[in-house]
Amino acid sequence: MLLRDVEYARPASVEDAVRLLSEFDGARALAGGQTLINVMKARAASPDVLVDLNDLDDLKGIELGSDGTLEIGAMATYTDVMTSAEARARPILGEVCAQIADVQVRNRGTIGGNVCSNDPTNHLPPLLVAVGATMTIVGAGEERSVPADEFFLGVYMTAAGPGELLTKITVPPGKSDGFASVTIGKEGTCIVNAAASLSDGSPRVAIGCVDAVPVLLQPSSSEASAVREAVRGASLMPPSDVHASADYRRHLAEVLAARAVTQASGGK
Amino acid sequence: MDVVSSKTITVEVNGARYEREVDARRLLIHFLRDDLDLTGSHIGCDTGNCGACSVLVDGTLVKSCMLLGIQADGAKIETVEGLAQDGRLTALQQSFSDHHALQCGYCTPGMLMSATALLRANPHPSELEIRHGIQGNICRCTGYVNIVEAIRAAAE
Amino acid sequence: MTETTVSPERPLVVEEGEEQRGFIGQSVPRKEDKRLVQGEGVFFDDVKRHEMGFVHFARSPYAHARIKSVDVSKALELDGVYGTLTGDEVAILTDPFFELSTPPGANIKDYALAVGKVRHVGDPVAAVVARTRELARDAAELVEVDYEPLPVLLDGEEALKDEVVLHDDAASNTVWSGIFDWGDFDAALAEADHVVRIERLHFDRFSSTPLECSGCLVEYNRGTGQWTIHGTHQMPGVGAIWMAPALRVGIDKLRFVSQDIGGGFGNKITLHPQFTACCLLARKLNRPVQWTEWRTDQHTANTHGNERTFLDVTVPVKADGTMLGFSVRAIDDCGAFPRYEPLGCIIWAQVTPGCYRWRNVRVDFTQVCTNKSPVAPNRGYSRMQHLWLTERIVDIVANELGLDPVEVRKRNYVKQDEFPYETPNGCVYDSGDYARCLDIALELIGYETIEDRRREAESRGKLLGIGIGSTLDSGTNNFGQSMILNPELQFSGNNEVATVKLDIFGEIVVTLGTVPQGQSHETTTAQVVADILGCSPDDVNVRAGHDTYWNSHAGFSGTYASQFAVTGLGAVKGAADKLAGEMKLLASAVFGCSPDDIELAEGHARIKGNPEAALPFMALGAILNANNAGLPPDLDISLNVRYVYRPPFEKPDLERKFGNLTLTYATQIHACVVEVDPETGVYEIVDYAAVDDCGKRIHPQIVEGQVHGATAHALGAATHEIFTYDEEGNLLTPNFYDYHVPHALDMPPMRTGYVESESPFTPLGAKGMGEGGGAGIHAMCAALQNALGRRGEGPIVSRSCNPYHRVWELLQNPSESRKLVTVESR
Repeated sequence: MLLRDVEYARPASVEDAVRLLSEFDGARALAGGQTLINVMKARAASPDVLVDLNDLDDLKGIELGSDGTLEIGAMATYTDVMTSAEARARPILGEVCAQIADVQVRNRGTIGGNVCSNDPTNHLPPLLVAVGATMTIVGAGEERSVPADEFFLGVYMTAAGPGELLTKITVPPGKSDGFASVTIGKEGTCIVNAAASLSDGSPRVAIGCVDAVPVLLQPSSSEASAVREAVRGASLMPPSDVHASADYRRHLAEVLAARAVTQASGGK
Repeated sequence: MDVVSSKTITVEVNGARYEREVDARRLLIHFLRDDLDLTGSHIGCDTGNCGACSVLVDGTLVKSCMLLGIQADGAKIETVEGLAQDGRLTALQQSFSDHHALQCGYCTPGMLMSATALLRANPHPSELEIRHGIQGNICRCTGYVNIVEAIRAAAE
Repeated sequence: MTETTVSPERPLVVEEGEEQRGFIGQSVPRKEDKRLVQGEGVFFDDVKRHEMGFVHFARSPYAHARIKSVDVSKALELDGVYGTLTGDEVAILTDPFFELSTPPGANIKDYALAVGKVRHVGDPVAAVVARTRELARDAAELVEVDYEPLPVLLDGEEALKDEVVLHDDAASNTVWSGIFDWGDFDAALAEADHVVRIERLHFDRFSSTPLECSGCLVEYNRGTGQWTIHGTHQMPGVGAIWMAPALRVGIDKLRFVSQDIGGGFGNKITLHPQFTACCLLARKLNRPVQWTEWRTDQHTANTHGNERTFLDVTVPVKADGTMLGFSVRAIDDCGAFPRYEPLGCIIWAQVTPGCYRWRNVRVDFTQVCTNKSPVAPNRGYSRMQHLWLTERIVDIVANELGLDPVEVRKRNYVKQDEFPYETPNGCVYDSGDYARCLDIALELIGYETIEDRRREAESRGKLLGIGIGSTLDSGTNNFGQSMILNPELQFSGNNEVATVKLDIFGEIVVTLGTVPQGQSHETTTAQVVADILGCSPDDVNVRAGHDTYWNSHAGFSGTYASQFAVTGLGAVKGAADKLAGEMKLLASAVFGCSPDDIELAEGHARIKGNPEAALPFMALGAILNANNAGLPPDLDISLNVRYVYRPPFEKPDLERKFGNLTLTYATQIHACVVEVDPETGVYEIVDYAAVDDCGKRIHPQIVEGQVHGATAHALGAATHEIFTYDEEGNLLTPNFYDYHVPHALDMPPMRTGYVESESPFTPLGAKGMGEGGGAGIHAMCAALQNALGRRGEGPIVSRSCNPYHRVWELLQNPSESRKLVTVESR
């Protein structure tokens, strides 16, 4: 409950933020704090320097391009996405954000924080993999783009490495999306989730909570049987824990993947 | 910009201005309770789940256990102590009492802040919207039945 | 979505000027609210003292280990650390806490800090005190403990083997063991037309987890040797009985103070170890010390509810569905230290046959220690576990024999005209009308249309189930039941205290011996006093909280065992009656008439039939306190009354384990409708009805609030709230992230109904009802059973907590659980 000693900086620009993150080995970006502060309370991780990103207005915008592409700043909160007129261009984003925790968490928690923490039970990593998003990462003097399905590297690990900052997430146009999950209680901890997206009728399904990173599958068709077969074919090895056995997670992965695809196809 | 381990910050809480030195590691809830003696906001967990620490920072409902005090420099904060004016309860506070929406009273400050935020944004919420609005506030005494009813009645 | 059917109707507060109908029975505004809605309550962590130090405990990461050494030197070097305390010091400065059990349990040595060994993850090994909370936490990390890990024991049945033993002084894990045998079970077996055997049922470990964690601020007065403890202890009478001998001081040297407490639910009764450590530190360091428990500490190292395994349940049943009793072997897992245990080994016997007229019961009961968190009298204490057994019995028997669940309950329920009803072990159920409560619950839940709803759910691919949970909340303990466990114990009966005075300016001031944590004691007390003294509750000032300096406490003072409405209000009534008598005497002396001619009404003492001859309370107070010359010399009054209420109990017959163990029995009959998604095991509670009968309801709105809260606790325990350990003894649900309690969106629509079967035994006809008997758990299990496996087929619900994964397993592998039940039909 009580943090270790830490130093704090509140940069006014992305360049300053990146410089700080590079300068200090034990520096961590502080976005919404809805995960990091809890990690620090448990003393599971204790950064030396917290680089507070909350003054970086450049990272908070949500823009809709004329081609329907959405650019979401990494510091946009879940509430920002839910209430943004632009984000309605891809409704699944707001729908999934609305399922995360509660009002207080949604008011502070950020899209960038959700994906960069890459907790295997988070909703946004599989969602962004399914919709084929692209992450923009800024490091010292350079900017690069990484597709979502290459961004998530391991538990709590992403392509945004030390000294780098995720600045925005680009979501291509589309509306044929689905999302299904089983959580402990309403909007509680997730046991398994699955996000689906159809582009030209071809389904992309990303399953979360079953591996260190979202598992991307591309079933041969949107038929439930094809989806389930694809999941079985992936030979998932999910973890067993207090909430679910590996078998149960494997089973839920099949069911939820099929449901997400059905939803994406316009079914229920 | 500076990298600091502590800072003298200025906050406005319930209309009153405070200037204090705070260690970077001190949570906002501890700053409010221990440094400013505003003990109305409470602590019920250590993972950001219970919402007993809920306050409004620059008009936004947040859990003050997941903010550092140092982050609140320059902010306007509203806590439960700022709801009633000169001892006159707000309609929401009165409704909580009328509907027996509190038993031990420990979750109540956070619950009231969440309800206040809800009604400011949505003056006539449905029952489902009310439940969503207080989903981040755990109560172990009431089962939420009377809390939902109190908020609904205050909204009328 | 919330409906309330109330029988009788809830009246409003009486208007001024109207003839007083009495405040008892009305939902008057709550006195506690004004401060609490403004955040002006005083909880222990709100109290500050100049230069106070903050305590942090260094706790064991091992479930079972020998302590080879404890080195606090590095902690002491940290700037801002005031001092430390270790187990070695505790073993010298204190005596082990008093154990309630017989040998071998009696030989357990329990101290404020671990001495020689740690026995559960989180067991406190040392304490550090520092200038700030954060520094104390930092310093605790610097305490170096050398452990020698030992094998870990996490299973109650395994514990019986005594291969891994927790307490070397006891040389056994068995805390207590005994056989209860009433009626003639063998004859009942012989008489049966069917015998249903259930191999195993398990009541899971959970806790009502009050939102405010435990803690205290302790000050020590070196001049007088007096400790003042501002803390969350909900039973200070008993707390002092543990702490004073351990600290080698007289009881009066421990002053317990509390104003507001954020829930307790029984988990703030066994705080004496942590409080004793804080007392030692306050004295050692000569400064106030403050300990705040964090959520993870509460889950891992404070207390859980009893975990109980029921083996070889055997139920003789007649052809018409009458059950004749049952026999069972029960193993109760009380965690690393008994503390309030083994009282749980007898307390279930308050409700031996549950709601049923069963005359032949045999229980082989053993309680054991394991390397889990110690238990405490969590809401529903020991009766809930036993009542769950009785309800699983009725539900499974009905299921297997194809009996109608409503019919079979009514056939077996104690009947309304049988009250007061003596159970096979001599407990007296005071009053009730179970069949009527069940009817109301069924009506509220729309039972008649349930088959339509089942078909409709099926059309959506869902399995619908309905379950009934009948339970009792037995209240006001006879502590003599402890003698059944240990004849050497000198505890019996019960008591509670209240003081009422009439102050010099006519103000009525009440102090209570109880320790409310949300149960509205100030309000209901004012109602009772107002009716007796003839004034309004607004005129009655009830001091908030508890303070042993008020001398309004006795040996059993506190808030627990669903007894405030009886013992607390009994004390209040006794004191107010006595004060009323004194006021009438004084008025009669002033008026020169007989006290029988005086009535108290509208804030005055006046001559009946002559309202002009009236003295306001202020005059009475002023006369006695400041203007008393000329009063008759034999007028022996003080207008400051202390009353001890003592419920009428006898010591039980220890040989037969027979006697009245509880004064009152409130009834809860609940019905639950659940929809299960067979593809995933995920379910939703779609409808819920709760009917409560607690006799005379002093304040209907408060009673209903308790019903809502108890239901939420029960539903949490039935769905996701479970304390599970890994093989090394680490708790896997140590905080609210993994231990999911109901939030606002998790609660089903709730309909409530009430019956008032007054108790013939209590001062006000009221019964305690604050705990409830876990009806929600019983109803949920029955509803899931109904959804998943009916008419002798499909899985058997044999655990009290059924999270989604468990439901899925039941669906996947019905034969696994089905093996637990056999039916022998003759």
